[in-house]
Amino acid sequence: MTPRRAVIVGVHATEQALSLPNRTAMDLAMEAVKGALADAGLTAADVDGAQLDWPGPGGVEGEGSSWARAFGRDLRWTSDSMLDNSGARGLLKAAAAVTAGYADTVVVGGCRLVSRGPANAPVGAGVPLEFTDVWGSYVVAQFALVAARHMHEYGTTSRQLAEVAATIRNNGSSNPEAMMYGRGPYTAEDVLASRMVATPFHLLDCCIVGEGGAAFVVTTAERARDLPAAPIAVLGGGMEYHQAAYANPALYREVGRIGRDASARAYASAGITAHDIDVFSLYDPNSFEIIRQMEALGVCGEGEGGPLVESGAIGLDGKHPVNPDGGCLSYAWNGTQQMTLKVVEAVRQLRGTAVHQIDGASLALVGNAGSGAQHYEMAILGEDR
Amino acid sequence: MTRPTPVPTELSQPFWEGTRRGELLIPRCADCGTRFFVPEPVCPNCMSATWSYEPSSGRGVVYAVTVVHRAPGPGFDVPFALAVIDLDDGGALLSHVVDVEPDEVATGLPVQVSFRPLDESITLPYFVPADARAADD
Repeated sequence: MTPRRAVIVGVHATEQALSLPNRTAMDLAMEAVKGALADAGLTAADVDGAQLDWPGPGGVEGEGSSWARAFGRDLRWTSDSMLDNSGARGLLKAAAAVTAGYADTVVVGGCRLVSRGPANAPVGAGVPLEFTDVWGSYVVAQFALVAARHMHEYGTTSRQLAEVAATIRNNGSSNPEAMMYGRGPYTAEDVLASRMVATPFHLLDCCIVGEGGAAFVVTTAERARDLPAAPIAVLGGGMEYHQAAYANPALYREVGRIGRDASARAYASAGITAHDIDVFSLYDPNSFEIIRQMEALGVCGEGEGGPLVESGAIGLDGKHPVNPDGGCLSYAWNGTQQMTLKVVEAVRQLRGTAVHQIDGASLALVGNAGSGAQHYEMAILGEDR
Repeated sequence: MTRPTPVPTELSQPFWEGTRRGELLIPRCADCGTRFFVPEPVCPNCMSATWSYEPSSGRGVVYAVTVVHRAPGPGFDVPFALAVIDLDDGGALLSHVVDVEPDEVATGLPVQVSFRPLDESITLPYFVPADARAADD
């Protein structure tokens, strides 16, 4: 018997905006799911796995089995975790289920309107953290501590960070789907001239915050033969977790290389190296995190990320294009489903249908991370072969 | 509105009692000797649940620092120097370095703990440049 292979057959991103006052989380999640199924040429009745946010109202918030009635059939696979319902982590777990035969067709994604949380929420990760919140160590500051140490050790400059921000923001400036469409273009000088948030990060070094949903559909390569779009294969992947989010500050010496082990395993599975990747769809909560990931993913050596980005390597015409859609810096950040948007962009690139299409893209790397970054999840996507 | 106030747990209660007395207590594993922070159910080096709080000298150096200009919430006066302190006798913790211009707090700066009350129940371990502290004494 031929082993089962997992492929992505449908993707959908809803509108993404600073605020979507006329939309609810459920409305956006439903659109994401139906849109991804329509893109795949499937219907709700085809779905037997749901790694989807259940935002309510109705049912228990977060309980994945709530989706069974929405799909009108019993499910074989669900998840109650918002992090299992998005991005590379969601993809790898769905692919594992499909490959093992626990389910045949899994939808991953949804929507949580995190920006509509209580105004007095703790400044950390959203839960009270005894030794971090009291010091005002919010998300930007935790990443800043890692960036500052990298600059100290390797001489990475604010201007190199600004080059990342300008490059990715300019991709979004000319992407009609981006929240920041039409804003810019920016030069590194513009980034350096924007107000300081937490050294070394200026305002334009930091990602935007908004609302929106996204989803994708994973099924077997065999099932995909009957479907309209070319299937996109999961060629490799990996995950790394240093510790729980935000309980401790991220220390460069502990987390600076996070993503290296995961990507090494993924490259080995796929039989490729970092330099074979045609397009990167990476977590960019700030400019520095791209420099760090270029090093951790093995595109360059440790400490070489600053000069690499300064050389133009991550631009649309560069050797290692990063976030052609504008990323979290300009396209969208919407809570956890921004991770799913990274998969959506990678699939569009491999289908040849992206807004800023990288010519001949046949291998894409999706990377998600968070909390400073204390965790990393990644996958390598390519044509099914 | 005030800044988020720590709510001591079963694990952290002795730490907060220590700061009120002017003592910086850092967990030390009885089995492998590792000093670690924050307090956790088991030692992050050897998984032993047998650890206890031991006093630290409170001396250390700045491992990393960011000057926060955008207030992260109510109750914070910006700018402030948010730093990770590597304690000389083991363990690393987050704090603010004060009694110095935030922009002058550099990686490698020697610092010394300085206890300051947040409210009636919580006293926070701030850090000050080691020289400045010596001058005060």
